Amino acid sequence: MSGFWAILRREVIGLFLTPLAWVLLVAAVSLNGFLCVAALMQSGGDVDGAFNFLLGTGGAYWMLMITLPPLLTMRSISEELKGGQLEFLLTAPVTDGAVVLGKHLAVVLFLAVLWAAIPMYGLILELQGVSPDWGQMGLGYLGAVLVSALFAALGMVASALSSTPLLAAFLGFIFNIAILILPMGAGALGGTIGGLLKALADKLNVLLHLQTSFMRGALDSADIIFFVAWTGLFLFAATRIVEGRRMWS
Amino acid sequence: MQAPLGYRPSPIPQPFMIDVKNITRRFGALTAVNDLTFQVGRGEVVGFLGLNGAGKSTTMRMLTGYLPATSGSIQIAGHDVLTESLQVRRSIGYLAEGVPLYREHRVSEMLAFQGRLFGMKRADFRRRSAEVLDRVGLSDRSRSLVGKLSKGMRQRVGIAVALLHEPDVLILDEPTSGLDPLQRVGVRKLISELAEEHTVMISSHILPEIEAVAGRLILLHQGAKVADGTKSELLAKLGGSHLKVLVAASSVHPRQLKEALKRALSSSDQKREGAVFVREAGDSIEATVRVDKNPAAAVGLLASAHDWILRELSWHEPNLEQLFGRLATGVAENGLDVASIAPASEVGTMGGMEETEAGA
Repeated sequence: MSGFWAILRREVIGLFLTPLAWVLLVAAVSLNGFLCVAALMQSGGDVDGAFNFLLGTGGAYWMLMITLPPLLTMRSISEELKGGQLEFLLTAPVTDGAVVLGKHLAVVLFLAVLWAAIPMYGLILELQGVSPDWGQMGLGYLGAVLVSALFAALGMVASALSSTPLLAAFLGFIFNIAILILPMGAGALGGTIGGLLKALADKLNVLLHLQTSFMRGALDSADIIFFVAWTGLFLFAATRIVEGRRMWS
Repeated sequence: MQAPLGYRPSPIPQPFMIDVKNITRRFGALTAVNDLTFQVGRGEVVGFLGLNGAGKSTTMRMLTGYLPATSGSIQIAGHDVLTESLQVRRSIGYLAEGVPLYREHRVSEMLAFQGRLFGMKRADFRRRSAEVLDRVGLSDRSRSLVGKLSKGMRQRVGIAVALLHEPDVLILDEPTSGLDPLQRVGVRKLISELAEEHTVMISSHILPEIEAVAGRLILLHQGAKVADGTKSELLAKLGGSHLKVLVAASSVHPRQLKEALKRALSSSDQKREGAVFVREAGDSIEATVRVDKNPAAAVGLLASAHDWILRELSWHEPNLEQLFGRLATGVAENGLDVASIAPASEVGTMGGMEETEAGA
C-alpha cells in the first residue's frame, strides 16, 4: 500500500510540474469561463441552464472530455515502459495494479481540480446575489469527475498498449469517441456483430447514465456504480496489458 | 506442506541467498535462458559474464521477479520469486541496465521516492539517505537534477537508490557500461566496497571489470551456463596455459629438445597430458609446452643438465578474455587450442593481463 501512495504522490506532483498540464488547465478554465459568460448572456441570465450547458449538454464539455484525459495519461505507461522506469517501479515492492491505479488517480485528481473551476463561477455568481442550484451543480461536477475517471482509465489502456505517448493520445481519443458514439451507431449494424455491439452499447451508455441522474440533479447510486465499475474494468485491463508487456520485455 | 514426524527445521533456514534451479525463459521460439542452475551464498560476489544477448539481463530480471521464468524455480533470501514476490523485492536492490531513474527529479527526491516505495520510516530514511549518498560520494549533489548529472554520477545515484533500503542482495546489471575509464574505476571501487557487506550479482560483458570485483564468475553463452568458479578454477578447467622455452639452436637439435621435454613432462604431475610443439626461430629453437602446471623449474634443471643455452623460459596463462572469446566462438569446454591462444597471450590486453613469468 505504501507503494501506491508513493506513486500517487509522485504523479500528482509531477502533473502539476509539467508545462503541458498547466497549458491544458489554463486553456480549459479560460474556455469554460468564456462559455459561462456567453451562455449567461445568450439565455438572458438563466443560471442553471448555463451551468447545465457547461457540465454536460454543451459541446465544449465533451470536447474537453475526449481530449484532456488521453493527453494527461499518454505518457504514464508508454514512456516508462520504454524508458525502463516501469522496471524500476515493478522491482520495488509494488504491484502492477498499484502502479496503474496510482497513475490513474493522479490524472483524475488533476481533472477534478480542472472541473472545479465551474463551481467557482457559481460561487462568483452567488457572491453577486444570484444563487445557482447547488445540488445540481454538485452532481454535475461529480458527473464530470466520474466521466473523466472513465476516460482516463481508457487513456491508461491506450498508454499501456502504445510504445509512444503520441500514439497513446491518439488511441485514447479514438477510444473515447468510440464509446460515445457506440450507442448511436450500434443499432445501424445488423447481424451478429450488430447485435453484440447493441448489447454492449446498452451496457456502456455513458451519455444516458450522465443525463438520467447527474445532469438532472437526481442521484441514483446505480449511475455511480456504472461509472466506477467500467472505470475499474478498464483499469484492470490496463493492468493486465502492463503485465503482458512485462512478460515480453 | 505437512512436516514429517520428528522433523526439526534446520537452524539455518536458507543456506543460499540466491538459489536458482533449472530456470528456462523462452520468448516465442527464442530460448533466452536455458536450464540455468546456480546458487549464491551470503556475502558472495558473483560476476555474470556473457556477450550481448547471452541471457544476463533476462536472468537478472527473473531474479528480481520482473520477468517470470518459463520453467524452474528461484529463491531469494529464502523467498520464492513467484509466490512471495513482494518479500523478494524487499530483499533485493536492483540497478537495471541503463539506470532507469526519473530524470526530472533531484537526487534527494529520487531517494525519497524510493524510500516511500519501500515504506521506510522517516527516521530510517533520513539516516540511510545520508549514508548512501556518502557511500557513493554524492553528498554534495543531492540537490542536482538526475537528468543533468554525468553518466557516471547517474550510475552512482542508481546504486545509492538500490542500496537505500539495506537489501540483502544487490543485483547490478552492467553498472559500468557507457562510462569513461575514470568513472569506471570509481564505480568498480564502489562495488568492491559494497561486496564486503552484501551478496552481489553483477553482470558485464567487459571481463576486466568483473574480474576486478567478483570472486566467482559464471559464464553464460546463448542462455546456458558454460563455466562457474573462481578465475583460477576456470583457467584450470578451460586449460590453455603453456610454457615457452627458447633455446639457442647451436646447443641442441630440435628433435632432441622435444624428446627431452616430453620425457621430463611425463615424470612431472600434470592433470592433463602435455604436448610439446617445436619450431625453429632464427638462431633459436622455440618449444611450446602445453601443460596445466608450470614446469619451469624442471625444465630449467633439464637445460642445465644438458648444457642448453636457454634464452627464454616463460609461463603463460591466457586471460579470461581470451578464454571467453574462444568459448563464445564455439570452442568446446574440454580444452582449448593453445596454439591459437599463445600469440595473443604474449601481447596481453589492457586490464586483463594474466601472465606470470617464471625465471627466464
